[in-house]
Amino acid sequence: MLARVANNLFWMGRYIERSEHISRYLNVNYFSSLDAPNLMSQDRQFVLRSMLFMVGEPVVDESRKLKEEEVLFRIGLNPEFPFSIINNVKHARENANSARDLISTELYESINKFYHYVLNYPSEVFVKNGLHDFTVNVSEMSAILRGKIRGTLLHDAVYAIIMMGVNIERATQMTRMINSKYHDALCAQGSYGDKFSNSFEWTTLLKCAESYDMMRRFYKKTPTSISTLEFLILNPNCPRSVMNSLNQVFGHIKILDPSKAYNKTSTAFLIGKVRAEYQYKFIEEIEGNIQSFIDDILQSLTEISQKMEKEFFNY
Amino acid sequence: MGNIENQIFSSYERNPDLFDEIYDQEGTIKPVYQKLFDIYGRHSIQDYVNLNAKAKSSFFNQGITFQVYSEKDTQEKIFPFDLFPRIIDQEEWDIIEKGAIQRSRALNLFLWDVYHDKKIIREGIIPMDLISTSANYLPQMVGVNPPGGIYNHISGTDIIKHNDGKYYVLEDNIRCPSGVSYVICNRTALKRALFGVFNHYQTYSVTNYAENLLDLIETTKPKGVDIPVTVVITPGMYNSAFYEHSYLAKTMGVELVEGRDMFVENDFVYMKTIRGPVKVDIIYRRIDDLFIDPLEFRADSALGIPGLFSVYKKGNVTLANAPGTGVADDKAVYTYMPEIIKYYLGEEPLLNNVHTYHCSRPDELKYVLENIASLVVKPVDEAGGYGISIGNKLSKSEIESVKKQIKDDPRKYVAQPIMSLSVHPTYIDESHSFEQRHVDLRTFTVLGKDREFVLKGGLTRVALQKGNLIVNSSQGGGSKDTWVLKQ
Repeated sequence: MLARVANNLFWMGRYIERSEHISRYLNVNYFSSLDAPNLMSQDRQFVLRSMLFMVGEPVVDESRKLKEEEVLFRIGLNPEFPFSIINNVKHARENANSARDLISTELYESINKFYHYVLNYPSEVFVKNGLHDFTVNVSEMSAILRGKIRGTLLHDAVYAIIMMGVNIERATQMTRMINSKYHDALCAQGSYGDKFSNSFEWTTLLKCAESYDMMRRFYKKTPTSISTLEFLILNPNCPRSVMNSLNQVFGHIKILDPSKAYNKTSTAFLIGKVRAEYQYKFIEEIEGNIQSFIDDILQSLTEISQKMEKEFFNY
Repeated sequence: MGNIENQIFSSYERNPDLFDEIYDQEGTIKPVYQKLFDIYGRHSIQDYVNLNAKAKSSFFNQGITFQVYSEKDTQEKIFPFDLFPRIIDQEEWDIIEKGAIQRSRALNLFLWDVYHDKKIIREGIIPMDLISTSANYLPQMVGVNPPGGIYNHISGTDIIKHNDGKYYVLEDNIRCPSGVSYVICNRTALKRALFGVFNHYQTYSVTNYAENLLDLIETTKPKGVDIPVTVVITPGMYNSAFYEHSYLAKTMGVELVEGRDMFVENDFVYMKTIRGPVKVDIIYRRIDDLFIDPLEFRADSALGIPGLFSVYKKGNVTLANAPGTGVADDKAVYTYMPEIIKYYLGEEPLLNNVHTYHCSRPDELKYVLENIASLVVKPVDEAGGYGISIGNKLSKSEIESVKKQIKDDPRKYVAQPIMSLSVHPTYIDESHSFEQRHVDLRTFTVLGKDREFVLKGGLTRVALQKGNLIVNSSQGGGSKDTWVLKQ
C-alpha cells in the first residue's frame, strides 16, 4: 500500500469516528438536559457551553450569552468551522476518494451517501427542529460504515490502518467526552444537593458513549463517578472504553509490524507500552487525579499517531 | 405498425432527413429493435420518469461523476445516462472490431517509423512538415524502443454512422483515451433499472475490459522482468477522470499512484509504500506527455516523476501509452490514414475516413474559405471538442472570424464536410418524451505484444441538445449502454 494512501485511510477512519462522537454528544446532552433533575443541568447555556467545550472551543467568558441556533449551526453544519460535523464528513469522503481503488465499492458508496446526506441537510431545519433526526442519522450511518469496513474489506494492512485510525480517534473522543463531562460535573455539583460523585452528568456521559445499559448490567447500580470512569476507561469489555480501543490498536499494529522482537523505537513498542500502563491500573489511581489522566492519555495518543506517521506514512 | 398503442414512442417525431438507427426510411422499426421497442412500449412515460430518477441517484451515490471547470468553481456532475440502449448486430460489429484493430496496428507501425527510420516520409507518402510541425511530436522519442514494440497500447476510436448507413472514423485517440469506465457503469445502471430487457437479447458482457487490459499491457513488460508490478498513475483526485482512474486500478487490482508517490533511483522507478520502496515495471499513465517528467519535459509539472523518461529510454519501465503517440492522432495525420494503412499493412481500410481538407495546402485552403458554411472546421491538436466550428450553425460575422483564424495559422486547421451523425431515440427530461438525438461510438482497443483486444461494446455518446453534433461530455453530452449482439 502506498504510504500517502495509508495516511489518507488512517484519517478517513478518524474522521468517520469523530463525526459520530460529536453528533452523539450533541444529541445526548441536548435531550437529556430537557428533563434533567437539577436546574444547572437543565440550563440551556450550560449545555451549549458543554458542547463547545467538547469540540475544543471552550467559552471562557462566563457572562457571554450563547445563542442556541448559532452554536448548533457552528458545530453541526458550519463549513467554516474546522471541527464541524459537516467538515469531518467532507474530510472522510475526500480521504476515501483518494483511496477509492483500495476500498470496496460498497464502503465507498456508503461514505458517499453519508456525504450527500450531510451536505444536503438544510441548516435552517437542523437548528430549529432537525437536531434529533440529523444526529441519529449521522450515528447510524457511521455505524453502517464501520460495518462495511469490517464486512467488506480484506482484513489486511488496509483494514488495519483504517481500524487504527478508528480506534485512536475513539479513545481520543472518549477522553474528550470524559473531560467535558468531568468538567460539567464539577460545575453542576451542589446546585441541587447533587454531589460530584453522584452527579446526573455521569449518566449523560454513559449515554454519550452508548454504554449506559451495559454499565447498568455490569454494576447493577446507579452510576457514580468511580464506576463510570472505571467502565469507560479501564473495562476491556466495554466496546467504547479507552482500554478496549488501546487493545484494538495493539492488535492491528501487529498486522502492519509482525516482528516479534520489538524494536524500541517502533510504533508497536509505544502502543504496547501505553496499553500495558492502563491494563494494570486501579481506577482509584486515576480518580484522584482525573485531569492529569486526561492530559496523559491525550498526549500518548498524539504520540502514537505521530509515530505512525513517521514510520508508515512518510517514507 | 404497432406504434398506436406504444405510449412511449407515440409522440416520437421522426425527421426523415436524418438516419434513425431504429427506424428505416419508411418508418418501420428495424427487426433487431422490435423486441426492445415492444418491451419499452409497455411502460408508461411516468414509469420512465421514475426509472430515470432512480438511475440518476444511483450514479450520484456511486460517486460516478465528473468535474466541470468554470471560472468560479468546479462542480460535480453526473454524466447523463439514457435508458434506451443502442444495439449493434454481429455483422456490423465485425467490421468495427476488425477496422479498429487494423487502425491501431497501422498507427503503431507508423509511430515506430516516425521515431526511427521515417521511411513513409522518405518515400514521399506523408510530407515531412506534417510531422515536424506537429505540437505532439516528441523529438526525445527518436530512436527510443518501447518495451514490446508497442506505442499505442490503448486506442479509443471515435466512429459515426453517416446517413449512407456506413461507419466512418472521426478520429483516433491514442494519447490517454477515456470513457471506458462509463461503458461498464452504463451497463450496470441499465441492469439495475430494467433488468428484464436483457432476457430477450444475447449481449456480450463488458466487464472483462480490465483483466484483458492488464494481461495485454503485461505482455509489453520490460526485459528481464518475471512478474511485473503494474500501477496506474493519475494526476490526482481533482482530475475530471479520476473516477475512471480509480475504477481501472481497482478492477485490475493494482495501485493507483500519483507522481509524488514515485521516485527514480539508479535507473529504476519505485513507489513509496508503507513497507518502503517497491520497484514498478509498468505504468499505465493517465497524465499527458508533457507532464510525466519535469526533468525532460515541462519543468513546472508537479504531476510527474523526475527522471522517469531516462528510465524509459533505458527500457526499464513500460509506459502505456508511450510518450509521443499524439503525433499520430493529430487530425492532420488522420487524413492520411487510408495511405498509412495501405503502406504498413498492405490492406484496404475497413473503416471509412471522412474526406478532409488541409488548410496548409493553398488550393484546399481556398476551397475551405469559399465553402465554410458547409464544412466543419477543427483545430488539429485540440481534444475534448474544444474549438470546433460547424459551418451551417455560424452567423455571418462568426464565419468571418473563423476565416481569419484559419488564415492566421492554416497549419492549425483542417475541414471536413458536415457529416450527418445517425440519431437514436433518447429520453429528454425537459419534454418528458423520446426525441431524436445524434450519437457516435467510441471503441476501446488494446494492443499487446502479439495479440489484441477490442471491448465488445463501447461508449455511445449522445449530443443532448437538439440538432447538436458535438457529443463530448465536456460539451454537455450524455451516453447510452451499447449492446453488441452475439448473433
